[in-house]
Amino acid sequence: MLSKMSADTLPKLFLEKVRAYGNGVALREKQLGVWRPITWNEYYDHVETFGLGCRRLGLKLQEKVSILGDNCPEWLYADIATETLRGIAVGVYPTNTVEQVKYILENSASKFVVVKDQEQLDKVLRVKADLPILEKIIVIDMKGVRKYKDPLIISYEDVEEIGREIRQTKPELFAGIIAETQASDIAIIVYTSGTTGPPKGAMLSHSNITAGQTGFLKVLPIIREDSLVSSLPLCHVAERMFSLFLPMKVGCTINFAESVATMQADMIEISPSIFLTVPRMLEKMHSTITTKIKDANPFKRWAYKLCMPLGEKVSDIRLSGRKVGLYYSALFLISYFLLFRPLRNRIGLLQVRECVSGAAPLSKDIMKFFRALGIRIKEAYGCTESTGVISTPEGEDRKLGSVGKPVPGIELRLADDGEILIRGDLVFKGYYNDPEGSRSVLKGGWLYTGDVGKLDEDGDLFIVDRKKEIIINSAGKNIAPSEIENRLKFSPFIKEAIVIGEGRKYLTALIQVDYENVANWAQKEDMPFTNYKSLVRNFRVYGLIEREIAEANKNLARVEGIKKFVLLDKELDQDDGEVTATMKVKRQIIEKKYRDVIETMY
Amino acid sequence: MAPLNFFEVQDIHMRFAGIQALQGVSFSVAKNELLAVIGPNGAGKTTIFNIINGVYHPYIGKILLEGKDITRLKPYKIAQAGIARVFQNVELFKNMTVIDNLLLGRHRFLKSSFLSGSFFLGKCMREEMENRRRVEEVIEFLEIEEVRKQMVKNLPFGLQKRVELGRALCMDPLILLLDEPVAGMNLEEKEDIVRFILDIKEETETTIIMIEHDMEVVMDIADRICVIDFGAKIVEGSPEVVQNHPKVVEAYLGPED
Repeated sequence: MLSKMSADTLPKLFLEKVRAYGNGVALREKQLGVWRPITWNEYYDHVETFGLGCRRLGLKLQEKVSILGDNCPEWLYADIATETLRGIAVGVYPTNTVEQVKYILENSASKFVVVKDQEQLDKVLRVKADLPILEKIIVIDMKGVRKYKDPLIISYEDVEEIGREIRQTKPELFAGIIAETQASDIAIIVYTSGTTGPPKGAMLSHSNITAGQTGFLKVLPIIREDSLVSSLPLCHVAERMFSLFLPMKVGCTINFAESVATMQADMIEISPSIFLTVPRMLEKMHSTITTKIKDANPFKRWAYKLCMPLGEKVSDIRLSGRKVGLYYSALFLISYFLLFRPLRNRIGLLQVRECVSGAAPLSKDIMKFFRALGIRIKEAYGCTESTGVISTPEGEDRKLGSVGKPVPGIELRLADDGEILIRGDLVFKGYYNDPEGSRSVLKGGWLYTGDVGKLDEDGDLFIVDRKKEIIINSAGKNIAPSEIENRLKFSPFIKEAIVIGEGRKYLTALIQVDYENVANWAQKEDMPFTNYKSLVRNFRVYGLIEREIAEANKNLARVEGIKKFVLLDKELDQDDGEVTATMKVKRQIIEKKYRDVIETMY
Repeated sequence: MAPLNFFEVQDIHMRFAGIQALQGVSFSVAKNELLAVIGPNGAGKTTIFNIINGVYHPYIGKILLEGKDITRLKPYKIAQAGIARVFQNVELFKNMTVIDNLLLGRHRFLKSSFLSGSFFLGKCMREEMENRRRVEEVIEFLEIEEVRKQMVKNLPFGLQKRVELGRALCMDPLILLLDEPVAGMNLEEKEDIVRFILDIKEETETTIIMIEHDMEVVMDIADRICVIDFGAKIVEGSPEVVQNHPKVVEAYLGPED
């Protein structure tokens, strides 16, 4: 039996949970319209057989297995099985193009790749000729590919079958392999989203992961009874933290939606108690609610108009550190049952206790909106190179816009130019196969995050912006574009905004309108349009956005105001290299691509 | 290759008020084969489907399913025998949900009486669960989880077509008749349906007979093609053979001067 002290790797922690919880539910998957529970024993069974199967197929120490596909239990099985064999698991975004998939398989020198379905398999098959190291393509869902003749292809099912045969003769083998894993082993490689260049593979060891678990849980109490929906891509380190690392520590339950398209409906059915999200999803929820309310019946509109200011008032009282009095508590309770409860139910956040937003800065307006509903979002700060977490606010009512204090185990200081530097067990082991890249961010034992921040008198951290993205205008003033962009994106009609102004007299913006909401608006205004392009070319849409920008400008300092703007006549797309898989805007590429358009504004 | 006589259309003649719609059309299909029936407008393709379905009865000729003569059976009997059809225009119950429409496809497997159904007795409940499960499998297969509880009338055309295909699949048919499955679809919807048709062929034993005007789709997925013009078969064979056959070129482009 493993003692508590020795559980210093993810597989060891896993075995510990399996022995502790056995037939308790570890995962749930919606299949054929019904939520099917997977117990810890079943979880182990899958990991064991798949792991033994991979071992027989020849996976050796420190060899890489890429996993390509939407979130599903098999994703996690393959991940832990690989780590148990002391191999390295590499996540690939399912939205990646063929070229991007090739880049990651090649760069990571993957020996196996686990693909979810035909769509992903076809991507790999198109580039496999250029991947000499690739030996096996393991397919989870064989629908439509049973007649493929490629010798590299093997079904996930068959790998488990091989594993089952081995287990029959050697039932104790896998537990023995688990015991051999070392805290210093590299467990996973996580590719950065690559806003400025090609993605880089950050190597994270088991000691990084366990430090991340400990640091996170000290400020964010998650317990066995909690349940989460795995909604962001698992290849992102934050989702990995929530769907894999944290459950291995506390045993909470992870739910997998039926498909990406049914996520919203499945969220409502599960009503998770912990919700990890990104600003983009919150912006989407906000714009859905505000546009739907406009179409609702008069009673609902009245309730909304009455209750929202009250919710905001209560949130303000809480933020100021005062106690909410009896009067407001009573009013809030009425509003809760009248409006907030049904609204929260609609977006699947009825029972949410901890809501964490990460990956990009969240606008204060969005934060205030959700706080009014009683959902007190915590904004966490971290990066791939720090195992996903650097700081997060402790307690619900911290200062808006602050990402709180560094988690325990992280030492943080600001460089002279304001860049955030950190040190501690969470800091990664360097980029895979890129010593030069690693040296440029790891200097003198400190990780240079590339983010500029400020610390206030209480030691709370505020993120200003990415260092590379800070705009210095012709008057020499530093301007952080992301805050301005967030203000603009608060409008339900604006989906993406890119602020321009480096070395210029004033700021301008490229705007991508929210097609769904603007189309809706245009229909009500009886405006004809056929597609996105014809919609944005209509001068009345320009007028609509002009009003929205004027509204946002009211809350901005003079120098930060947007003087002119252009509507992009196409939606930014990952396939065109304009945004990353996590939908982060690639500023340099866009500025280059739309140079002519930008020049017309100056 | 499997024997060709799994399903046979033998020497069909059909006449409407003096117009000779079909004059001696014959073809046969092997199990799990995809046969495309093509031809210019008015050639008699849909009439063949209507005869197979038992909507019309030919004055000469026979339809044989696994050697059994089904020519004179009523349409519902033919459906019970395992011949499902997806219509050219969507023929769903628009005010019912996707699930309910699909459950209708399971009608031929429902055995409970009116009485046990009214009280939802044990056997009836088991039957409902079994059939609902099959419906869910089809929903997963066609990737329409997102809309399963929506009214059909609220769905875009491409999805309605997919639901109709789903209803036919719920019948677990031996033979699937597809009448212009990609007509009126945009490129993406077309690619989806083509992929599903290929998947049906691969994942089940279903035999498919398809009428289609989109030559790209036909040439891409059909095992064999049967060309009809003026109520008669002019050519039958593999896509390569049919594509360059002078009679086919003539039927579509008119005779060369």
